[in-house]
Amino acid sequence: MSNDLVLARRDRVLDAMALASIDALVLGRQDNAGYACGMRRLWTAGTRPFGAGCIVVASTQRVHALSSWEAGIESPMTFDDLYPLTWNPRIMAASMASVDGLTRAGRIGVDELTPSFRRAAANFAPRAEIVPADDLMARIRRHKLPGEVEAIASACAAAWVGVEAALDAAGGTDPAASAIRALAGAGVTVPSSGVRAERHGAELAVDVGVICDLYEGGVGGVFAGGRRAGASALPDACRAGATHAELSAAAATGDWLVRGLGMGFEQPVIGPGVGAGERLEAGMVLSVTNGHRRDVVHVTADGPAVLSQRP
Amino acid sequence: MSGDCAPVDEIAPPAPDPGRMGSERLSRLRNQMRAQGVDGAVLMHGPHVTYATGHVPGAVDAGHANHRRAVAIVSASDGPARLHAHDPAGVEARPPLWPELDDGAASVGEAIADVLGEVTGCRVAVDGMTGAMARAGVLDGAELVDASRVLVPARVVKTEDELACIDQSQRHTERAMEAAQAACVPGSARTEVAGAFLAALQDADPESGPSYRNGTAATSAAYQNGIDPIFQPMPTRRDGGIRTSTGHVAFPTGVDNPVYAEGDLVWVDSGVGYHGYMSDFGRTWVVGRAPTAAEQSLFDRWVAVLEASLAAVRPGATLGDVGRAARAVEPHDTPWLPHFYLAHGVGLESAEMPMIGTDLGPAFDDAYVLEPGMVLVFEPVTWTDGVGGYRAEEIVAVTDDGWRLLGGGHHYEPFRS
Repeated sequence: MSNDLVLARRDRVLDAMALASIDALVLGRQDNAGYACGMRRLWTAGTRPFGAGCIVVASTQRVHALSSWEAGIESPMTFDDLYPLTWNPRIMAASMASVDGLTRAGRIGVDELTPSFRRAAANFAPRAEIVPADDLMARIRRHKLPGEVEAIASACAAAWVGVEAALDAAGGTDPAASAIRALAGAGVTVPSSGVRAERHGAELAVDVGVICDLYEGGVGGVFAGGRRAGASALPDACRAGATHAELSAAAATGDWLVRGLGMGFEQPVIGPGVGAGERLEAGMVLSVTNGHRRDVVHVTADGPAVLSQRP
Repeated sequence: MSGDCAPVDEIAPPAPDPGRMGSERLSRLRNQMRAQGVDGAVLMHGPHVTYATGHVPGAVDAGHANHRRAVAIVSASDGPARLHAHDPAGVEARPPLWPELDDGAASVGEAIADVLGEVTGCRVAVDGMTGAMARAGVLDGAELVDASRVLVPARVVKTEDELACIDQSQRHTERAMEAAQAACVPGSARTEVAGAFLAALQDADPESGPSYRNGTAATSAAYQNGIDPIFQPMPTRRDGGIRTSTGHVAFPTGVDNPVYAEGDLVWVDSGVGYHGYMSDFGRTWVVGRAPTAAEQSLFDRWVAVLEASLAAVRPGATLGDVGRAARAVEPHDTPWLPHFYLAHGVGLESAEMPMIGTDLGPAFDDAYVLEPGMVLVFEPVTWTDGVGGYRAEEIVAVTDDGWRLLGGGHHYEPFRS
């Protein structure tokens, strides 16, 4: 990943902290931590308990991450900015206390709250007010930098490797296994939503969601004769200013979802029963699902640009 | 009788009974809640939701899992656990909630009130509060405690059905690893080996036809890969790899895509869920040649550490007893990685209690007593600087008088056992 992108994201985080008067961020969410520090980690599925995966300190402008080794880290973070893995809450609290600037923080933002973290913070940062900052990170991540759009487009191209392999799979074989094997051959073994492929007679319903270099790409649809079925009305409606009602009208199915896509599932989230007050804005990148069809769309000032075109 | 002579891995293992497993788990959770004066639990961490309701969330990336969280709400009194889920996959569920979103938090509060009633003054276990829930005042007035306080003690002793799930998952992983080991040759890359493994998991899944197993679960019984599988070539010297804070080697780093050369010692690790219960397969492979005498010696020492450890495993023994038995075999060098453990539990998570030899310290280990139904994954490491290290994993369940192996008893090739 380009170091410029890592620095640009870090600067956005520091700017937003300054605006919100937050002295330090403690980020437990993998995607928020990845956004702030650029570190690649071993991928594991599912939710994980809140813990200090990454710490951003306003006074020092430094970003710190939980790791016992320097694998996967990106400049400007160095080995000295890491604090080690531990099973022991007392050792963890001591590590936190030794992060320069954290103990003096007046306001610490977190992306999730747990009773044990509040208790621990009372020790390592006794004067600090603990405030939710998930919304701060979500606001930054709603609008993508040009380098992020490029990374997402690359990840979408990688997702097509899986789709094409599923389409090429011989009858009687599992198209999902073919997709997984081909993706791995292209260097992609980390799923976002994963691989889904099912034959229905001559049709193949397939959806592939992968993560490459921390960014998500995806595409889906029902294919017959190698061609993807379904209208592009919903992606076409993804223009700056579009409302829930306008997107719902364009979807014309009960099974639709327009949601932010970047380092994972992010905001906005607009669909049946959710996101009534949202409006699309230029700079967003969206996963646009309408029935079985899924496209990734960049909302630009000139209208929607589909990033998941078949390469 | 011919059955008496069948190898262990040809005897059909007992199948889990999901209904019985669910009711026994909920009963254990409630017993802990009542014992600790906890009136209700609001659970959003995947393994916690599974324990309370039987719903197994899809094995998707954390960002997806967080936004499409299932929510379980459990009252300490009787009644079923309430489940709200996006992909219920055959489990009875209410409409999905969006606890990450400001316009979804109020619905979370209403669901909690529906199950727990007025929460002011109540003691409620939570595994996390989203910012949206905090801003909306969800659970304001309640005394919040960490859900792990009730879930860790409930989960640590497994039921027979939970043990059967781990056993099945381990056997399935062992079968898929055959394809991975065949692919781990000079000139192949990690992702090719991983692809062989992941595709074999998918191909060999007997539960359902072509489906969603690498992502959204078709059913809770589908096998779901839970970890980007690790096939990491290791340095032969402690200081020969990337920089660490432990003085030992970095493992598992989970990044980069190395290409294997003849003679690489490749440390393998993986985890696959079945009904949510994780396997844990670890081995050391040698790329493209037989082990040298020095490498075989690493393995022989590893076997000695494992056997000494297992000889100490029985109900009433402490974790400290087992750790000391392992250390006695390798008196000059702790035979496990300093940032990890000699052994850890496994269940709905890849690493859970009990853990032996962590930085929680000797007092913790000496106070922790083994009971029947606890699970231990032994992962000793033997090391000779300049030669490298041997690492593998074996899963055992503590029984009434000792232990039994879970999984089919996979081979250690290319090492001679």
